Amino acid sequence: MITVNGITLDWYEGKTVRDVIQEMNYLFPLLIARINGKLIPRNKYDSTEIPDKASVDIIHLMSGG
Amino acid sequence: MADRKMITIEIDGKSVSVEKDTTILEAAQSIDVYIPALCNSELVEPYAACRLCIVEVNDGRKTKLVTSCNYPVRKHIRVYTSSETVLRNRKITLEMMLSRWPNVQVIKDLAKNAGIEKSRYQHPAVDLNPNACILCGLCMRVCEQGIWENIINFTNRGAVRAVRMPYDSEQPHCVGCGACAEICPTGAITMVDDPNQPYDAKMIRKAGMRITEEMIKYDEEQCDMRGVGTAHLVEIMDAYDLLPVMNYRYGKHEETPKISSDIFRKYFTKGKPDGCWLGCTMACAKAIENFELKTGPYKGERVLVDGPEYETLGGSSNMGIFDPYFVAEYNFYCDTYGLDTISFSTGTSFVMECYEAGVLDKEKTGGLELPFGAKDAALELLHQIGRGEGFGLIAGKGIRYMKKYFVENFGADPDFVFDIGMEAKGMEYSEYVTKESLAQQGGYGIALKGAQHDEAWLIFMDMVNKQIPTFEDKAEALHYFPMWRTWFSLCGLCKLPWNDVEPADNAETDEPAKVPAHVQGYCEFFEGVTGKPQTMDSLIRMSEKVYNFQRVFNLKMGFGRREHDAIPYRSAGPVTVEEYESRQERYDTQLREDAGIDPAGMSSEEKVAATRKHREAQYEHLLDAVYKRRGWTNNGVPTAAKLLELGVDFPDVIELVTKHGG
Repeated sequence: MITVNGITLDWYEGKTVRDVIQEMNYLFPLLIARINGKLIPRNKYDSTEIPDKASVDIIHLMSGG
Repeated sequence: MADRKMITIEIDGKSVSVEKDTTILEAAQSIDVYIPALCNSELVEPYAACRLCIVEVNDGRKTKLVTSCNYPVRKHIRVYTSSETVLRNRKITLEMMLSRWPNVQVIKDLAKNAGIEKSRYQHPAVDLNPNACILCGLCMRVCEQGIWENIINFTNRGAVRAVRMPYDSEQPHCVGCGACAEICPTGAITMVDDPNQPYDAKMIRKAGMRITEEMIKYDEEQCDMRGVGTAHLVEIMDAYDLLPVMNYRYGKHEETPKISSDIFRKYFTKGKPDGCWLGCTMACAKAIENFELKTGPYKGERVLVDGPEYETLGGSSNMGIFDPYFVAEYNFYCDTYGLDTISFSTGTSFVMECYEAGVLDKEKTGGLELPFGAKDAALELLHQIGRGEGFGLIAGKGIRYMKKYFVENFGADPDFVFDIGMEAKGMEYSEYVTKESLAQQGGYGIALKGAQHDEAWLIFMDMVNKQIPTFEDKAEALHYFPMWRTWFSLCGLCKLPWNDVEPADNAETDEPAKVPAHVQGYCEFFEGVTGKPQTMDSLIRMSEKVYNFQRVFNLKMGFGRREHDAIPYRSAGPVTVEEYESRQERYDTQLREDAGIDPAGMSSEEKVAATRKHREAQYEHLLDAVYKRRGWTNNGVPTAAKLLELGVDFPDVIELVTKHGG
């Protein structure tokens, strides 16, 4: 199990940051991802695997008027 | 953005692993191997015009000379940046450049680095100007590729080739962004027109150019403001259950794709920036040209529609209408009649819910059938408002008026219409569902001018990121962001370049939500205009004085107290059983986890009531926390001490707040 923004999600071997973003349906483009507090660059979302029991933050910035 | 395949290459014996299609020049720069280049910039596509960046490449079979700026790495290669062949060819190129532009500093420097003291050639069109144009093409390429304009380009060929505007005349389409001057390596293009005589025009331009660079490099993958403007938020808000549907009852709808940004991308005038102001390179004001109107006084005419923006689209889903032609038509006529699309659509959403609930009927509306989705009737109502006739005369006065009118004249249940009439301080709500974000409920309710999100948009921070869990956290956000956004209004500046494009390193900052680098840019704008250096804190301080003064003004006009920060319950939670049951799992969980109430065995009516009791209490706690943070009394009145601290302690102001306990 992992937590994403405080919500518990199932974990499986090889689950990436991109998988989590898709599972959560996070469509917003201005995201900041951290795994256990460590910043993950946007161009590494596909290749960064999340360890079991990780605390993941997908921080949404703001946009619009 | 999928991760790209990595390829390892060798540059001057050094091994480097780069993403496929990285150019040799970029690969060399990544390991600090110097390759000279004159016509290259990360803001434009490679051009290979100056030929200085030549290198030798060996692919295992043969060795050849290539220009490194536009040679993509696709397999293992060995690169030689300073071989005898490379240096000989580069020297010839530099000598030819030096013979033509002997006094241009950038060329002199490159020649000196290459060991050239004097060119062996004599150029027939030698130009002794130290700021001569060296025909690198950076200016016209940044104009075309970066700014999406074609204000300047090459004319003629050979020795008389030059960069010019068409017909050598000033071009009205030039937005004056200054990108061409900024990118020019020789000073051949300079900005000379400072009509307002700012304190430091260069400081302003540099801060502006940083935004321009970010727009060029990142906008397409970030918010696509130049492509579709704020319309990009439609599908995003739907995905997060935040797009208002049927008077804010719901946050998403299966027909949303019909009014998504991809639909409007096809209609928007293409390939051209459309900025509100000269010099803006965010240029998010989109337009639909040649739109044929189907109703109203201009029926049958083809017109230009200025928009739609997100709020106009969200207003349409709020009326239960998912038709792009309707959106364009109501957008045009709201503009034409001088109406705000938000007020019209939110007001009409309220009318539609009243119609469906039986508060209104055809007789009361003068024959208009106005359930959700009734686009023809909605347009007719809009025309009636424009003409000041019929039911439009009532609806056009806004929700606050309608609520009272419906109770007094149509026997409407006051509790119901006050719960679903989405206005605060008499202003209609803009188009976001706030039920799951207490901070945003405060953002709307406490805003000085009424229910507008432009003081604070905190839904993601609060609801999605869960960054501000306590009342104190929310109160801090409801201090900083309203003050920050007020500062834009004080200076007449647009807020969009602050956070609708993001610097590459924003994620690495302590407070990325504030976009610190852009706040610093606004400090420089201010200093560049006035000569007075600023910090993030000093900008907030400026706003705080004005913001408190505005609150006192509200107080003087009979508003500005706690009771005026009240919100309609639809803003905080589900008014009806139908709404509750549409998101029952979410609401049941929240009852259990947030309110400590076990929903098992409760009827939906009981659960609606229990949710309401909890959420209304939460909102009152939030007001307490925000007032405390702002230095206001528990009744929302700025204290005399706070006004003294801010330097706005004028005698009549102090007298007024003291009268109200401040």
